[in-house]
Amino acid sequence: MAHQADARRMLDDRGYTGQTIHDTNPAHLLEKAVRDRIIDSYYWKEQCFGINEATLCDRAVDMTFIGGTYGQQKPTPFLCLMLKLLQLLPPREIVLEYLHQREFKYLTALAAFYVRLTFSSVDVYKTLEPLLEDYRKLRRRTKDGGYALVYLDQFVDDLLTKERVCGTSLRKLPARQVLEDLDQLEERVSPLSEELEGLDDSDDNERNGTTNGHDEESDSG
Amino acid sequence: MADSKSNAYGTNTSDTSFRKTWDKAEYTEKARAREAQEREEGKARYEAKLQGKKYYKSSDTTTAKQTESRANRLNVAANVGKTMLVPAGVAAVGKRGRGAGFYCADCDLTFKDNIQLVDHLNSKQHLTNVGESGEVGRATLEEVRARLEYLKQKREEDRKELNLVDLQERIKRREDEEETKREEKRRKRREKRRKTEGGVGHNVEEDEESGIIC
Repeated sequence: MAHQADARRMLDDRGYTGQTIHDTNPAHLLEKAVRDRIIDSYYWKEQCFGINEATLCDRAVDMTFIGGTYGQQKPTPFLCLMLKLLQLLPPREIVLEYLHQREFKYLTALAAFYVRLTFSSVDVYKTLEPLLEDYRKLRRRTKDGGYALVYLDQFVDDLLTKERVCGTSLRKLPARQVLEDLDQLEERVSPLSEELEGLDDSDDNERNGTTNGHDEESDSG
Repeated sequence: MADSKSNAYGTNTSDTSFRKTWDKAEYTEKARAREAQEREEGKARYEAKLQGKKYYKSSDTTTAKQTESRANRLNVAANVGKTMLVPAGVAAVGKRGRGAGFYCADCDLTFKDNIQLVDHLNSKQHLTNVGESGEVGRATLEEVRARLEYLKQKREEDRKELNLVDLQERIKRREDEEETKREEKRRKRREKRRKTEGGVGHNVEEDEESGIIC
């Protein structure tokens, strides 16, 4: 079993016969305009040719920012590697290895994006939600070519809630509440829940404390 | 009178013995093989034509090795600032042959820009010429883990290098580096001298820094 070094077979519009994701050609999970930009880009031709699941790590390690397209619609290496991942379609355990290694945060971000694009809805929630406790910093390339600071948990939250991330319109994800009602998901306990409760309590206490005086007065009055 | 087979030096020879002698048996065998192959190909072409298809010569894929990812970035700036001698006339005609630009030695083609070059390096034509199949082996989970572990170590080493603040230590390391470089140069020069006849070496020493390629 082997991959093709180039993506010609995947990009053949006359009839795709390979493995499908969500009943479509995996390349179609990225938008056509972005896809064409990626295939024309030098990074894709030079760096993404002939890589497999292991050598993809080399490229992912060199990434210094995430993002969609910037400047004159130039695709980021992040997007190029995403298209390559969609061509390679690595098995689930390798994706999870990418996701859960602790050393390279951009590889984690890439894997998170891949999970959002290809996994089933329930799986997306189950695998991505633990990452909401990952507060590592990421650089995001903005559309005008500048940089913005985001955090990994922020990025994952965008993946779970927004419709467009990194120049890609994401498949609609059913609301968490719906899946909970169908008993496919457990209720999520926020890692901040204890603090929130504590905050609520102290708020209540404070409010009680301050209002008590008035109450007493009004009571007495 | 001396024997016609021997000359003044007494060696056994005829007056045409300086000519190259041909191993006729070997060449007959070669010719036979070539003719058989041509006949076979002609037959295949004919059969393809009968079926209304175009005949493509199949390349030998049994020995082709798998394509691998590039280990380094393409060094397209390697020849910047260098002067090259380009054969006159040839350069203007298409991509064939060596001309001004990026030269692919395997395919004997010259390209004007790096996009054309990289497109060519990814093409089936080039891969066939260098004996690659255009297929990439799949990596297993263990390989991915090993790769990540390797990259982690490499990054740590790089960081150690970067964080080295002791000036004396850095100067010493730099000197060592330069010394090894010089040693390498010396070795190359010696090798070159040994190759030339009588060990006289080149009259004109080729200086790598001068940027002139002869």
